Amino acid sequence: MSDVAIAAPAARRFRLPPTLVMFALGWVGLMLATAFLADVLAPYSYTALDLRNRLAPPIGFGGVLIHPLGTDELGRDVFSRLIYSIRMSLLIAFGATLIGAALGTSLGFLAAHFRGLVEQCVMALVDFSASIPFLILALSVLAFFGNSLTLFICLLGLHAWERYARIARGLAISAGSQGYAAAVRQLGASPWRNYGRHVLPNIASTLIVSMTLAFPEIILLESGLSFLGLGVQPPETSLGSMVGYGREYLTRAPWILLSPAAVIVLTTFSVSVLGDWLRDRLDPTLR
Amino acid sequence: MRTSPITTPLLEAQNLMRRYWMRRGAFGKATEVRAVDGVSLSLERGKTLGLVGESGCGKSTTGRLVLGLETPDAGTVAFQGAPMPAPGTAPWRAQRARMQMVFQDPLGALDRRLTIGVQVREPLDIHGIGDAAAREKRVLHLLHATGLRPEQAERYPHELSGGQRQRAVLARALATDPALLVCDEPISALDVSIQAQVMNLLVKLQREFGTAILFISHDLRAVRQVSHRVAVMYLGRIVEEGEPDDVLHSPAHPYSQALVSAIPHPGRGGQRILLQGDPPNPADRPSGCAFHPRCPVAFARCSQESPALTARPDGRLVACHLAHEPAIARAA
Amino acid sequence: MLRFFGFRLLRAAITIVMVVTFAFVVLRLSGDPALLIMSVDAPPEAVAAFRTAWGLDEPLWVQYFKYFSAIFEGDLGRSMRDGRPALTLVLERVPATLALTIPALLIKLCIGIPAGITAALHRNSLLDRLVMALAVAGFTIPSFVLGLLLVLLFAVQLGWLPSGGQESWRHAILPVITLGVGGAAVLARFTRSAMLEVLGQPYIRTASAKGVPWRAVVWGHALPNAAIPTVTIVGFMVGSLIAGAVVVESVFSWPGVGRLLVVAVANRDLAVVQCILLLVAATMVTSNLVVDLLYGALDPRLRSGLASAPKGAAA
Repeated sequence: MSDVAIAAPAARRFRLPPTLVMFALGWVGLMLATAFLADVLAPYSYTALDLRNRLAPPIGFGGVLIHPLGTDELGRDVFSRLIYSIRMSLLIAFGATLIGAALGTSLGFLAAHFRGLVEQCVMALVDFSASIPFLILALSVLAFFGNSLTLFICLLGLHAWERYARIARGLAISAGSQGYAAAVRQLGASPWRNYGRHVLPNIASTLIVSMTLAFPEIILLESGLSFLGLGVQPPETSLGSMVGYGREYLTRAPWILLSPAAVIVLTTFSVSVLGDWLRDRLDPTLR
Repeated sequence: MRTSPITTPLLEAQNLMRRYWMRRGAFGKATEVRAVDGVSLSLERGKTLGLVGESGCGKSTTGRLVLGLETPDAGTVAFQGAPMPAPGTAPWRAQRARMQMVFQDPLGALDRRLTIGVQVREPLDIHGIGDAAAREKRVLHLLHATGLRPEQAERYPHELSGGQRQRAVLARALATDPALLVCDEPISALDVSIQAQVMNLLVKLQREFGTAILFISHDLRAVRQVSHRVAVMYLGRIVEEGEPDDVLHSPAHPYSQALVSAIPHPGRGGQRILLQGDPPNPADRPSGCAFHPRCPVAFARCSQESPALTARPDGRLVACHLAHEPAIARAA
Repeated sequence: MLRFFGFRLLRAAITIVMVVTFAFVVLRLSGDPALLIMSVDAPPEAVAAFRTAWGLDEPLWVQYFKYFSAIFEGDLGRSMRDGRPALTLVLERVPATLALTIPALLIKLCIGIPAGITAALHRNSLLDRLVMALAVAGFTIPSFVLGLLLVLLFAVQLGWLPSGGQESWRHAILPVITLGVGGAAVLARFTRSAMLEVLGQPYIRTASAKGVPWRAVVWGHALPNAAIPTVTIVGFMVGSLIAGAVVVESVFSWPGVGRLLVVAVANRDLAVVQCILLLVAATMVTSNLVVDLLYGALDPRLRSGLASAPKGAAA
């Protein structure tokens, strides 16, 4: 019985991931580099106007060399705006994912630790957020509170918190009733030590996989809300808001929205592929 | 009430009661399940009490109650003469250094992401015992005492064998030099060939560390090997308690007799007492003596009146109407 | 069984109360509605009159109870912009939205579930990989991008279909496809994993080892069991029929509930937003409730899953 357990982790050998995963890794790496180096990479500021070159097409479609991806209706450089938009969208998605994971995990631990009424309250909140499509909830909050970047990130952080809460609660309860957490508790460890040093590291791989799976959803939400004009507000720009503004020039200058749209699709696709791959490798129980 | 020594015992449990509520089916009313129903036991310093019974008899719950991991619904536990603090409180946590538990499944009881050395040291970290150097020294000493090699401190639980893991769990449990160790089926998850080693280790460690042990097992032979006294449990109650050899050679309670006869013995075929009826269900406790539906010698009184655990002239504690009145036994 | 129904009903009721409370709290937290509605330079008497008219000068808990009872009488307030009852305004838009979401739901079901089952039955084959690649692609392309690409292709380049509006059934084709594709992808992924989970169970292996024909194993054992988790996600899709087309309606200028919501949010027309929120929550909760009850019918184990067997009692 115990010998099976020995074999499993030892059999994990390093293999080069499949081509698609390599591509996804490469793309995500490129996006991260772009986000970090935005100030260095972008040839222009994202608000700089070039009124002589308005609606200039990209190179190869009769465009000018100084604006490789063309310009928009105000002559703003699409390439530069794209770079800053990537930074904004990734920043929002990272912030929101972290907030959601931290919030959900904490509530899940609280539920697992105190059980009883606390657990019932947390589960009622889980029910509550599972009962309203998140987009509607987000739109209502934006309607009631108006918009600011901080509020927007926190709001998106509420997306998927209940998943982490469910996972953290379930795993903490099972660890606490039978396994190592029960053992550590009876050693005299404080709850902080128990959850921080033992439970959290043990469920971290599951949580990271969940974060990877939630990340593209948050990018999609952010870009959807920004596309509707209710997310990131000008003069700030994000991938979704670029598509939203480009929409009016769909027939005359489709390049304004095509490049950010392609970046959204490639990024969410890559992160999803990575998430699936990580899940299969680290935690096949999660679906 | 019982023959206790003059000094206060290390652990004294009186009339422990633990109930659970269980609901069967969607319609079912909640039924009360008495996992532990009036258990009293005492344990002296450096001695071992064996607690035997089949699964579901409440022996593990008894272990958790005397450790203070759960609060009894009735009854008291006194450790070194003082009552138990409430679970989870600071005094309770501090008391953990004095009492420890060894689990059935050593792999489950160890954190698979930390090395053995870190985990053996953890009780010292938790209770702030010694400085860093002293802790390292203590870890090495514990590994040595439990028969692990120093370099195995760097290993992860899954890199050790089942027996080695249980040694590591023992080393961790003994780190703070506790006065009481509750071992809940410590060998039943191990290979038969390893079981004897761990049992011997337990006896050796008890001599070395002077720890009192509550040894919980379904295996009467294993219990006899390590225990100074043995108590047999059936459906939440102790039905017999006495010296291990006495209980094994002349069991007084019909249930103990059945347990003893179930031990395979070369050259003694055909004498096994086969228990009749369903295995015990704590949710559906029979009236009177809980054992009477399966008892080969039960008579009318057994289904009406629950026998008390009382001492026979030879000092053995038995809860059976017949054991105290052998005349009826023969008549029946 | 009755206990099961009762428990689920109670949970649904609690969720609705929480949604209503949420709307109330958020509404009150968001600032003084009077100043929000009236312009900042409105005369103080007018603001005071407005407060009295809307009951804003009463204690908070009185407001809460009035709010509650009003909602259960079907009074969801009036649009703060044009003064019409918010509920009427929203209900007017529901048929238009359903005209998109119901056909889209059919597309999702007819493509997603068979695709997922096929992929699972031919695991790791070329077909499986193709279906999964399409599913990941369908899930990662945002609906507004897909919608705009379809417009670019079929309306702008080819000129086959209109790009927006609601004049004829032809106007509905592109939005319905846009809605259907993403949902079908999600459903295919979900069905596949549910199916794979079931196919890995011992009872399936036992059935096929006993010599039951594979077709019978799939239809008799695997599909009914895989249906259980799939029902959840379909329930979610049914529940979001009313509000599932927010983005797509905006892309195609389709005058449905979603478009109304976006405009109301932009204008901060709180009564309308809150009315949509409550309506969506009510639909969602109802649909979840139906799913739960269906669960009970599909899986008898869940009915007794309420039994709180204490751990440690048996040890």
